[in-house]
Amino acid sequence: MRSIDKLRLRVRSLFRRTELDTELSEELRFHVQRQTDVNIAAGMTPGEARRAALVEFGGVSRLTEECRDERRVNWIQDLGQDIGYGLRMLRKNPGFTAVAILTLALGIGANTAIFSVLDAVILRPLPYPAADRLVLIWTDLSGAPRAPFSGPDMNDVRTRSRLLQDVGGIWVGRAALIGTGEPEQIKLGFVTGNFLSLVGVPPARGRLFTARDDVNGAAPALILSDGLWKRRFGANPEIVGQAVKLDGGMATVVGVMPENFRVMYPPDLGVPADVQAWMPFGRDVAQDPRDLNFLRVLGRLQPGASIGAARDEVHAIAGQLRKEYVVDSKQGEDFDVVPLQTETIREIRPALLALFGGVGLVLLIACANVANLLMSRAGSRRREVALRAALGASGGRLFRQLLTESLLLSFFGGALGIMLGWWWTAGLLALRPKSLALVESAGLNFTVLGYAFAISLAAGILFGLAPAAEASRISLMETLKSAGHGAGFGRNRLRSLLVASEVALGFVLLFGSGLMIRTFLRLVGVNPGFSGGHVLTFQIAPGFKRYPSDASHAQFFEQLRKNIAGLPGVDAVGAASHLPFDDYPNWYSYYWPEGAPIEAQQSVMADHRATTPGFFAAMGIPLIAGRDFSDADDASRRRVAVVDDLLAGRTWPGESALGKKLFVETIKDGDFAPGAAEVIGVVKHVRYARLVEEGRSQIYVAYAQNAREQLAFAVRTGEEPASLVGVIRAELDRMDRDVPMSKVRVMDEYLRDARAATRFTTLLAGALAGLALALAAIGIYGVTAYSVGQRRSEIGIRMAMGAQRADILKLVIGEGMAWIVAGLVLGAALSALLVPWLSSLLFGVRPMDAVTFAAVAIFLAVVGMLACYIPARRALRTDPIVVLRYE
Amino acid sequence: MGKPTDLVQGTVDLLILKTVALWPAHGWAIAQRIRQVSKNVLQVNQGALYPALHRLEQQGWIRAEWGESENNRRAKFYSLTRAGRKYLQQEEANWERLSAAIGLVLKTT
Repeated sequence: MRSIDKLRLRVRSLFRRTELDTELSEELRFHVQRQTDVNIAAGMTPGEARRAALVEFGGVSRLTEECRDERRVNWIQDLGQDIGYGLRMLRKNPGFTAVAILTLALGIGANTAIFSVLDAVILRPLPYPAADRLVLIWTDLSGAPRAPFSGPDMNDVRTRSRLLQDVGGIWVGRAALIGTGEPEQIKLGFVTGNFLSLVGVPPARGRLFTARDDVNGAAPALILSDGLWKRRFGANPEIVGQAVKLDGGMATVVGVMPENFRVMYPPDLGVPADVQAWMPFGRDVAQDPRDLNFLRVLGRLQPGASIGAARDEVHAIAGQLRKEYVVDSKQGEDFDVVPLQTETIREIRPALLALFGGVGLVLLIACANVANLLMSRAGSRRREVALRAALGASGGRLFRQLLTESLLLSFFGGALGIMLGWWWTAGLLALRPKSLALVESAGLNFTVLGYAFAISLAAGILFGLAPAAEASRISLMETLKSAGHGAGFGRNRLRSLLVASEVALGFVLLFGSGLMIRTFLRLVGVNPGFSGGHVLTFQIAPGFKRYPSDASHAQFFEQLRKNIAGLPGVDAVGAASHLPFDDYPNWYSYYWPEGAPIEAQQSVMADHRATTPGFFAAMGIPLIAGRDFSDADDASRRRVAVVDDLLAGRTWPGESALGKKLFVETIKDGDFAPGAAEVIGVVKHVRYARLVEEGRSQIYVAYAQNAREQLAFAVRTGEEPASLVGVIRAELDRMDRDVPMSKVRVMDEYLRDARAATRFTTLLAGALAGLALALAAIGIYGVTAYSVGQRRSEIGIRMAMGAQRADILKLVIGEGMAWIVAGLVLGAALSALLVPWLSSLLFGVRPMDAVTFAAVAIFLAVVGMLACYIPARRALRTDPIVVLRYE
Repeated sequence: MGKPTDLVQGTVDLLILKTVALWPAHGWAIAQRIRQVSKNVLQVNQGALYPALHRLEQQGWIRAEWGESENNRRAKFYSLTRAGRKYLQQEEANWERLSAAIGLVLKTT
């Protein structure tokens, strides 16, 4: 049969329903009449004949229903009916409806919020064209994996690789933007000419850089971020082609990037996402020294090229270079390629997945609660269901009806949940750690809405299935006979099972968040090696165009330091090229003690910092031996260095480091080269990059002997650190109005940032655990209250027979607690199974931490007992006489 | 002779199709005819007959028309469609194969 004919039949079935129904009953009536005729012919009286025909025919309404079912479109009509009926039922029980919808909305809302973050960070590709072909390439130096590239190395990879379409590099520094208002220090991404085109996002205005911008002596070009263009240049549409004053020189704006454009790098590579402008290096980096590693290199794979093949290829290129540059200390060097996306989210991924799992558990608990609610309501609806069954509704039809009601609940719960989720996503964005730039794009999109819809549907089926199956299976006779008294024990067992699983899931969540809280406390307890409470920090880069020589730089900084030291309220002041936990690209290099064999010279690295006198005192870094730098340690004297206790202990175990000669990286006129320095002091090790690990050891060299383009000042005061900002700015203005003071922050803020990701995870985990706890408590309470209500008469009789209050309490609480304890055991087992997934998030706490384990178990048991006790006590107030009379 | 055998699910469809293949018939007549032809062995009761008729109609194997019954009442007559005829042949062949196969098994063991 052609489908068009079938369609016609279905349409007729759908829209000519009354006509069809009339025809159907006429058809069946004819059958009965025809049989009656036969019976009469066989000699019965008309009355007998008709009765006999009817008896033989059987139940008309049921048959009618079955015939209707065959029309195949009946479900649409039934659905309409079911929805209408379901809505009436929900409206009739506003309390039940509100609690169920709210419970679901909490679960679905939490899921929607976390999923929107997951979608933005993990599921969606990075916001670049063909982002899956973007890769990070780094140098593996001995003792320093994930190290940057040197210009010549990068150039060799670029020209020799066939699998990489293009390769470019970036280094983020700072520059002073002068003119049009206050001078301002901006984060400037120095890039190779091809870098931005490699990323692939076209500019909103103007052009990107080209290879011509890489030529030595090319006119300085600048590309602005959308944010800087709007804020600093008032979104001037004529900006392209204009010259702006940068670090005392001029640069021409050639383009503006679109809104929300960011270069997303892993947080530890010194390429922050909030770079405000980009500029070409202005020289051919391929002609740099081969050991000057500073380029954070990005590559784009050829279409179809695999990461594995590209990795093999760069390994091979590194092998060639090791052969070609035997003298040039390339021996321990290798290259590696990793996907940009994977690497960018590597640190946050486990936390997000754990949270995603957590909200899933919360939703399961919410479902268990609603299933419980539905089942206790099913108890009071048994007569209604039985009546409908008696009137000809089939089991399947009843099942569908009840499931429709559940789906209606989940639909409303989902709608409210999406609203909650939208609100909570905004909250998450406000709480997000700064290092997590990708979260910014989280929001309600079709994927998220689709997900919310899908979990609502799944939840509706999940919590509706068991109660609907249960209710539609009710035996007619039993129910009508027992007239609504004494629920079956089977159902109570199912409900108790639900409670046990709620407790188990709650256990997992509480345990997980307990571990996160312990981790966070450990993190707060870490001594980073300095004390940052009363330290004001800010950063100054006078610019080599205005202060062209190292000496003029040093002089400017020395003057500023002295002026600040003279201010009232200042206890100590000093400066260093790098602050702990700052996103400024780290400076680290090899060091070796005098007399080290040649093969040991390029094997260990340390962080290097150019430091002025007073920095240790200002930062509260304890001096263990020797002395701080002094004004006398200037460019004309022998080079000196201060090392940390880690390095001293490793290099000269059992000996004093003071007076020893150490080869460190030194800077002269912008060139980096190894040079000998005498150790004059030993300070305590500082955790610079991560709180959770010791990190590389530190070498401090005298700023006056190693000029860098910028210094971070630390000012220790007994007063409120922020109160100094104004007077310091005034000092600076007096010296040079065009030198900006940037990143003005109390040192503690850097520490807070370092803990932000963990705090974020901990807060969310805590919120989820709280939600789970509340839902589980409500669930336990509900089940106990219901079963106590069911057993009112039993309790009444027991009391009439002389049972003590304590006995009854013991009975009720004991039964409830049996399931709770079962849940605890199950939860403990589940936790043991799931917690290993958390281990990468933890610090200073073992995954199966006994303290947390015990605390969670006791806490949950107490909450469970309370949730049993309250309804139990209410049951005790029952007057036996009333109950027995009612019975 | 024992009681009329309950029909295996699915065979009802085949019997109905075969019955209306000869000439159009209403429900009661179909039931009667099946009983008569099978010499009272097969009995299709109303609870199975009418849903099956409506199902076959929806599937397009049979079509229904209102007409006059043998005792001058309005009755719904079912007849085979062209698609139904093809389907019937196919099903008959299937049935032959199946019953022959069962017969073989029963004989040899």
